[in-house]
Amino acid sequence: MKTEKFNNRITTSRFKQLAWLFASCLLLFNSGCVKVEYSKIDDPAYLRVFNNLNYVQTLGSKDNKVPFFCMLINPVLDGNGTPTSAEIVGDFLDQRDAYAPPYPSHIGTSTSVNNPEYPGKENVLVGPILNGFDLSSWAQVPSGRVRIMFAYRPKNTMPFFQLENQLKKDILIDTTLNLTNKEVYTLHLLQKDFVTKRAGILLREEIFQKLPLSDSLTYVNFYNMSAKGYWEADKSLKADDYLMASFQGGMKDEMNVFLSLYENQNILSNTEATVPGFKGKYIANVKLNTATGMVNPYVSFPIWAGKTANGITTNMWQRFDFFVPGMDVTNNPFYPASTDNGGNWVSVNCLQNGKVRMVSNDNAAILPNLLVNIHSGVNNPKTFATVNTIEVVNGRVYLTTIQRKYAPPIY
Amino acid sequence: MILMKKINNHNKPALWVNKMLFILAMSLQLLFFAGCKHDDLSIALPNENIRQAGDFVKNNYEMTLFYAALKKTGYAEQLNGAGPFTVLAPTNDAFNRIGIYNAADFDKMNADTLKKLIGYHILPRRLLVNDIPSNGIDIRYATLTGPELYVSRAAFNPNGGVEKELYIDGVEVIRKDVVVANGVLHLLDNVMKPNFNKTVQQWLAEHADYSVFVKGLKKFKLWDQLANPAIFTIFAPNNQALADVGITDASLTALDAEKYLGDRLFGAYILYDRHFFISDSQVFSLINSNGAYNYFLKNDSHYMNFGGGKQYPTFKLGYGLTLRSGNTFSDVILNSVNSDLTAKNDNLCSNGIIHHLVSGLVRPDQAIRK
Repeated sequence: MKTEKFNNRITTSRFKQLAWLFASCLLLFNSGCVKVEYSKIDDPAYLRVFNNLNYVQTLGSKDNKVPFFCMLINPVLDGNGTPTSAEIVGDFLDQRDAYAPPYPSHIGTSTSVNNPEYPGKENVLVGPILNGFDLSSWAQVPSGRVRIMFAYRPKNTMPFFQLENQLKKDILIDTTLNLTNKEVYTLHLLQKDFVTKRAGILLREEIFQKLPLSDSLTYVNFYNMSAKGYWEADKSLKADDYLMASFQGGMKDEMNVFLSLYENQNILSNTEATVPGFKGKYIANVKLNTATGMVNPYVSFPIWAGKTANGITTNMWQRFDFFVPGMDVTNNPFYPASTDNGGNWVSVNCLQNGKVRMVSNDNAAILPNLLVNIHSGVNNPKTFATVNTIEVVNGRVYLTTIQRKYAPPIY
Repeated sequence: MILMKKINNHNKPALWVNKMLFILAMSLQLLFFAGCKHDDLSIALPNENIRQAGDFVKNNYEMTLFYAALKKTGYAEQLNGAGPFTVLAPTNDAFNRIGIYNAADFDKMNADTLKKLIGYHILPRRLLVNDIPSNGIDIRYATLTGPELYVSRAAFNPNGGVEKELYIDGVEVIRKDVVVANGVLHLLDNVMKPNFNKTVQQWLAEHADYSVFVKGLKKFKLWDQLANPAIFTIFAPNNQALADVGITDASLTALDAEKYLGDRLFGAYILYDRHFFISDSQVFSLINSNGAYNYFLKNDSHYMNFGGGKQYPTFKLGYGLTLRSGNTFSDVILNSVNSDLTAKNDNLCSNGIIHHLVSGLVRPDQAIRK
């Protein structure tokens, strides 16, 4: 009986020994073979790319070419002019999302290869933290004179260079850019003329990282990058997207922007209480420009202006009304829910996650709140000031938010 | 202590039972092995030929006419070959709708035309529904004849909900993914109507029942453009349909072309730069909740609403056209037509698609030049 027990113990301990030996061998084998090759770009510029050529799949537009691209920087071409490789490849470049968040966090749960921006979902070298701004949404690209191509590609999941040769030849843009070392750029692919359908690109050298911006003010600037002749065109030629409300028809070439700050984004009404001094306040003038990459001036509003703001968090939300010069909130001749205003009045509500509409009839498009409310340190949520860009492109409005690096949450 | 003793007492018979079980199990295993020795056991080999695409069509009473056509064109033999194939088989009903009731009726057709037509119903690949992109519109696949066909698949609605409709060249697939040994078969509700290199102009010229329409197009100088490579969708009224709105061959001869707006009187039947199967409207109403298309007539102030879909109570595809004097709510409706002869729609030509229209849209008095 005793020897049996003893024997048992010996076999179990031997088994344990063997198992340990096996496991450590496995570990050695696995770890021993890894060779990490770090990629590095010397003298990089920082580039973020948006595809502003948007489309809606409708009966009327079903025969149009889908603006779905592969971006190639410094491509290598074969004898037939077909790209065979490139230094930087931004494949599956789809139309941009309404919201470009400060961190590429929207990628997290995505199961699709389609990329709403570059670098977006691409696993590439990104920008550093400059003046507190986290540039992880900007990719490192070689500086100097670079050749850039946007090639049409079929809407599938096959990488560009694995496509059949005949599918790699449809190039929309083939041009050169001059990028300066360590500068921050946003590149827009857009339609420049609605009648001729001429497309082009617009490169903007950003300056937000060089400005002395306050932590308690939120900054925003505006661009109208619509195609020439869009707002004048007949309604039947424009994409039908009811979510864009008054923006559907586009806006006129010169508009004044008025800001209203509302106290509480949990009350879905634009007739509710506003922050004193911020009800239809004139803040900016915006002109159509698809030719020059000039940065429009930033305007700001205080983030703690609301009555319920406590220095940690606030529920304030923003509404921007774009009126043709001469018209403003006080002499607005249209009724509140009027969406078809001939490009004279368009508006956008910026609240919550950009997915909720007012409970009453209202003509505003919807975008997320400019202020970022997020768990940081012990505060959940904590409100952060941001730097924003609102861009109007044809019948759409886009928001890009840039945020400073913030403390991680403590649970 | 008493408890232990009791357990010990019980342990002994338990051990004995274990031993017995072990012996039993061993002997049972022995029996199993012994039982396996059956020298004369034979299993019928599965007949591997029974579900070749060609034989499958042959053995199916719903596709006898299609099989007759396959046989006549020599494809029946090929479809029993290696493949892979995708067979788009029209039902007998589908052939009946285009005037083919028995195998002899195929003899009346030009043999080459028939061969091209039947080859167009076969793809040299295995195409399951799930191989087609979800909500893909006009996805093109090469056929055995060569020219491509257009596949549209409604798979989901953006507002949530699964859709399961598939259309090929405007024809509804009524039974999908019938797997055969050398490919897959889909059952079509109608015969596809490809016209290969024929333009819409040639197609209209060849069909005598549209002669008044053709005469009108010629009279108002709309005819020549139909030979251009541009794209047209034409809602063609036959002679009876035009007689309903007071246009006959004789009245057209007497008509003074200068006094009428040709772009309304006959241009109303032409949709420029668009390539619509009737099924497209149905697919977009499923995947985009909007299957309508509204447009101004070319060179005219009048406004047309086009919309197609499954018609109640037949649930077959049809379409409606409504012509208004303008695009505002208060504008007058000139005429509204519902056209549901599904089998006569979707004539695919090299530069567009022609649909049959059961009734005319514009009376001559509605198109007087002022």
